[in-house]
Amino acid sequence: MTKDTIEIANNVLLPEVVRLLEEGHTVTLPLRGYSMRPFLEDNRDKALLIKPETVKAGDAVLAEITPGRYVLHRIVSIKVQEVTLRGDGNIATEHCRLSDVRATVIGFYRKGSQQLDSTDGMKWRLYSWWWTRLLPLRRFLLFALYPHVPKRFLKK
Amino acid sequence: MKVKKGFRLRTICGENVIVAEGLENIDFSKIISLNESAAYLWRKAEELPTFTADDLKGWLLDEYEVDEATAQADAQTVATQWLEAGITEP
Repeated sequence: MTKDTIEIANNVLLPEVVRLLEEGHTVTLPLRGYSMRPFLEDNRDKALLIKPETVKAGDAVLAEITPGRYVLHRIVSIKVQEVTLRGDGNIATEHCRLSDVRATVIGFYRKGSQQLDSTDGMKWRLYSWWWTRLLPLRRFLLFALYPHVPKRFLKK
Repeated sequence: MKVKKGFRLRTICGENVIVAEGLENIDFSKIISLNESAAYLWRKAEELPTFTADDLKGWLLDEYEVDEATAQADAQTVATQWLEAGITEP
């Protein structure tokens, strides 16, 4: 028994996570990627997940957008069975069916804290309120927060 | 010592992992994974109401070609680690 890090591919790990959720467990999942910036950071933060019951626009969810491909993004809208998602750090959207929503986020552990930032809590709700309303400015805000050369300007 | 109630060995993503049964949280950021021989010892240990480091040593000698001193040392290490991880209790 060692205190090592095991990296498991998403398409292997996440079906297992979904199975555990269906058994009634909650799951704490370390997060990878930059698509939920600025609140969540790659390799730093964790999400506490539960089996989804009723989901609504504004919720952060784990969704299987194509078979084997999962995202943890925010729901922009639900029209009948059609769900539109967008990562907080993204401009583009994804789409899936309501039945492809595999988990709801109940909260996040950020910056190594043991204290859960609940998605019912003031911090997440205030952040969500502002950040989703700032969508028209998002491109500029993200660039100001994370200066980088956009991919389209990089030589192939 | 004895295996803590509710802790169960299962295979997750090909790893032998100890998880708590019931409605408990499974934390993928600090999962307790056992290698092949530790998993073997766990399966033996959970069949008994209590066990000792000597039992672990005996099971290692039954299954693996190791000398007694090595088995003794490994058994002691495993017993200590399980206690530290909170999956067994004195």
